Amino acid sequence: MTTFDQTAVTRVSWWQQAFALLRKDLKAELRTKVAISSVGIFTFASLLLLGLATAALKEVPTIKLLGLTYPISFDTLVGKQQPAWDSPSKMGMLWVLFCFAAFAGLAHSFVHEEETNTVAALRLSMAPGAVYTGKLLFNLIVLFAIMAVVTPVYIAMTGMTIGSPLVFLTVMLSGGIGLAATATIIAALAAKAQGTGALYGALGLPLLLVFLMLLMNAAATVYVVNAPTLRIVKDVGGLFSFGVLIISMSGMLFHFVWEE
Amino acid sequence: MATTERRSGTAAAQTATETALQGAWWKWGTGLVMCFVIYGAFFIAGGAVGFGKTGDIARIVFFHVPGAILQSVSYAVAACYALVYLFKTHPPRKAAEIDARSAIAMELGFVFCALATITGSIFAGMQWDSYWNWDPREISIVIMLLLYASYLVLRAAMAGRPEQRAKLSAVYALVALVPAQYLTWAITRIVPSTMHPKNPLFEKESLSLSYKIVLYASFLAFTLLYCWMSQLRFRAFKVRTLIEGKRG
Repeated sequence: MTTFDQTAVTRVSWWQQAFALLRKDLKAELRTKVAISSVGIFTFASLLLLGLATAALKEVPTIKLLGLTYPISFDTLVGKQQPAWDSPSKMGMLWVLFCFAAFAGLAHSFVHEEETNTVAALRLSMAPGAVYTGKLLFNLIVLFAIMAVVTPVYIAMTGMTIGSPLVFLTVMLSGGIGLAATATIIAALAAKAQGTGALYGALGLPLLLVFLMLLMNAAATVYVVNAPTLRIVKDVGGLFSFGVLIISMSGMLFHFVWEE
Repeated sequence: MATTERRSGTAAAQTATETALQGAWWKWGTGLVMCFVIYGAFFIAGGAVGFGKTGDIARIVFFHVPGAILQSVSYAVAACYALVYLFKTHPPRKAAEIDARSAIAMELGFVFCALATITGSIFAGMQWDSYWNWDPREISIVIMLLLYASYLVLRAAMAGRPEQRAKLSAVYALVALVPAQYLTWAITRIVPSTMHPKNPLFEKESLSLSYKIVLYASFLAFTLLYCWMSQLRFRAFKVRTLIEGKRG
């Protein structure tokens, strides 16, 4: 029976433990760059797939003459064409990319411990809550790093506008928290179940459908010009609350997953 | 019902409930009430104004609404058992029974959720000329169906390790409770543009007497059917553990 012995590690505080785990994970990550490169490559490949698949979605520019509408097909104008979808749906597609990317790469944090047989050591030397916090912070950092690189590229590729910058940033941050929180607890479950990647996706993506509904709702608000503050708070808060609830639920339940 | 009483009652009360529910009398009763509901849906309740040309499609309410409500009650039951399993210590046999109760509630939730989805889709096809409209209510029920399916997949993936399976699936049931509650309470408020008719139970004036009689009978019939199915599944679980115990 390998359970956490509180008396052995009371000398080190809970936060210190969490940050020690985070430091260790970051160091290992900077050495091998497995998580960041796998999630990054996955996102960029999906981005290109998306670009190819939606190439036919280009809007044909039209001109109105004598009450009739004619399509313009001069080659000089092709460069100015925009995809025929609006910014909220572009935002939705961006987040679909992030969701898939998170579920392709973030399982690594727990699976890695199982693979290298360091689970038992970690279980003995740290409080479950500290392990959870450390892993969550690590996944947050990886996800935010990917988002910081991919979002500007995506904006450049698809011409997505960002509306009010402050609201946009809040939506991105709350979305990142919700996504990382879901990915972390499901990663812990899937690693313990010793399932394949398919199980990880099957467990996590149904949860993310709800997250994506909340996100699309918030994304619609981003692009409303002069939206009332109450609406912004309500919609972005709705998105943020998902992450908060998942984190608090995970915090309560993580030690059941973690301990043998 | 049998499931909830078993959880809270003492051992004596449990045996009393069990013996009371042993007999076949209430199953005959379930059959009779169900017959009344089927008869009533077609002959007692009339067509309702505003539903299709003849109003006949409103009759699906007797099969759709109980399914939809029972599936969310079923998730609540499963989550309660998951909570009890995780936060209270029990002797191994009792713990396995609690876990089985939770899993059975999830299975039945899946069945009733599928019933609600299919009847809802039929209604949508008749009422709005399209079997799927991407209405918030339609999306939420199909995500609910996926959540149940994910839980069952997790259990199926861990079939060989019953104790770990019990713990992990209980955790999953509680984590998935967060999105499930968003689906029930929040989505219809943040995405208010639903075509779904308002819940007739919360609208005082919307039901005529004939509809009330049949709908309440339908709730009774489906609840009894749920208890019966739950009892059957639990007996199957007990027989299985008995056989496995004798074998090994």
